[in-house]
Amino acid sequence: MASMGMVFDLKRCIGCNACVVACKQENSLPDGVFFTRTLSEEYGVYPLAKRIYIPTLCNHCEDAPCEKACPSGATYTREDGIVMIDGDQCIGCGACAVACPYDARTQLGKDALTRGLFGEGELTPFEEAGYDRYTAGTMVKCDFCSGRVDAGLDPACVVTCPTDARIFGDLDDPDSKPSKLIRDRKGRVPLAEKNTKPKVYYID
Amino acid sequence: MSTSHTTFTGSGDSFKLGYRFQSYWDLPMAAAFFFGEFGAGMFLVSLYFEYLPGMILGLLSTGVGKPYFHISHMGVPGKSWRAILRPDRSWISRGLISIVFFIPCGALVVLDAAFGWSGGGMLGQLVKVVAVLSALVVMSYQGFLMSHSSAFAIWNSGLIPMMSVIYALTSGAAVTLAMSQMFGTVDSQLLGHAVIALVVVNLLVLLSFLHAAYHGTAGARQSADLLTREQYSRPFLGLVFGAGIVLPLLLLWLGGVNVLTSLLTAIGVLAGYFAFRVLIFKAAVYEPQVNFAARLGLR
Repeated sequence: MASMGMVFDLKRCIGCNACVVACKQENSLPDGVFFTRTLSEEYGVYPLAKRIYIPTLCNHCEDAPCEKACPSGATYTREDGIVMIDGDQCIGCGACAVACPYDARTQLGKDALTRGLFGEGELTPFEEAGYDRYTAGTMVKCDFCSGRVDAGLDPACVVTCPTDARIFGDLDDPDSKPSKLIRDRKGRVPLAEKNTKPKVYYID
Repeated sequence: MSTSHTTFTGSGDSFKLGYRFQSYWDLPMAAAFFFGEFGAGMFLVSLYFEYLPGMILGLLSTGVGKPYFHISHMGVPGKSWRAILRPDRSWISRGLISIVFFIPCGALVVLDAAFGWSGGGMLGQLVKVVAVLSALVVMSYQGFLMSHSSAFAIWNSGLIPMMSVIYALTSGAAVTLAMSQMFGTVDSQLLGHAVIALVVVNLLVLLSFLHAAYHGTAGARQSADLLTREQYSRPFLGLVFGAGIVLPLLLLWLGGVNVLTSLLTAIGVLAGYFAFRVLIFKAAVYEPQVNFAARLGLR
């Protein structure tokens, strides 16, 4: 059985945020809603100043605390390990959001789907078409572009990354690219002490 | 190695490493937690002292106040009933099921006390046992829900459920004392001593909670700093400690139990309790990923 996961190669990430833009477009995300973010920080003093970039998204944990916290059964894990939210079952209580150690979830505001980002706030045709998949007030998050994965494609952020810093694949397949990278370059998971068994790894 | 303590309000729009505040549970949820726990505590204390108006107020608080604020918080209120569906894994479902038992059984206990419908029989006793057990769950389940969250180190403590129960009983006892002084008859001596004892226990648990936070993870320390030294220190120290702990102790110790001291004690305890509920939500921060960056050798 497949276990889909992702590897971030931090040596390659240049913090361009193309992944963020691609994700927003692919998922028709409303204003202020992000499924993926590239966190950055500057430190040090010139001439030894540096900036680091840490891309983040839902870690699709094997032992997902959000799934355990959800009282309505809206959060569930697919057979391929992708953690999903069923918007029809979500009641917007936020229990999953306060259970997730990675702050990977967002609640859609009650007017998030009626207020456009441009002009006077009316919805563009793109927004109108895209917002149909969401219900105001519910929780949303990265689903590894599950529709694209079902069609045999990689998530939009992976395809868009200009430096191939995002590598997606089946972690249960020892010959897959992410599995090899994790093995060869000692991939590590974020906040491992939380024991959620994330399926997103970082290599440097 | 330098450390970054940049803080941001709100989640989902931050693109910097640093602490991010919890923002999903805010004032309506704090009020829902408050009314639920206070109501259960009020009912249990009033049941012990056979004080009918207190039991009724407790049932109203949990049965009306709590649902009102929960539904006002919900993103999809019309589907709120679905929250009851997963008692196998969700504390919210378990708590709601307990409330479903607590309210009608509590009402039957009140009716039995007022009209004696059970005639002292087994059914009346059974209903009372169910009411008490479900009230205990209502008092504690929100604390278990919070402590179950590994996202916020300040919540991830066994002291949180304990504080829920202690606060519920303390506020219930304080309000029962005030009401009985103004409107009815209850053993004021015993109840006054109970309030003092519970406030002292409350103080010890609060201090233990802060001590554990200061010796915990970076996120826990940051949350404790927010409560005691930084932006929430005034309401935390002023209301939670000042009004909720110091004021009741001084009033009851120096002034004894009378209408004025018991009323001010109840107001102080309730203010401190509600302030705690709001501030523990506001001060919760996600564990910073900056530590993760350090572990990767990036800084």
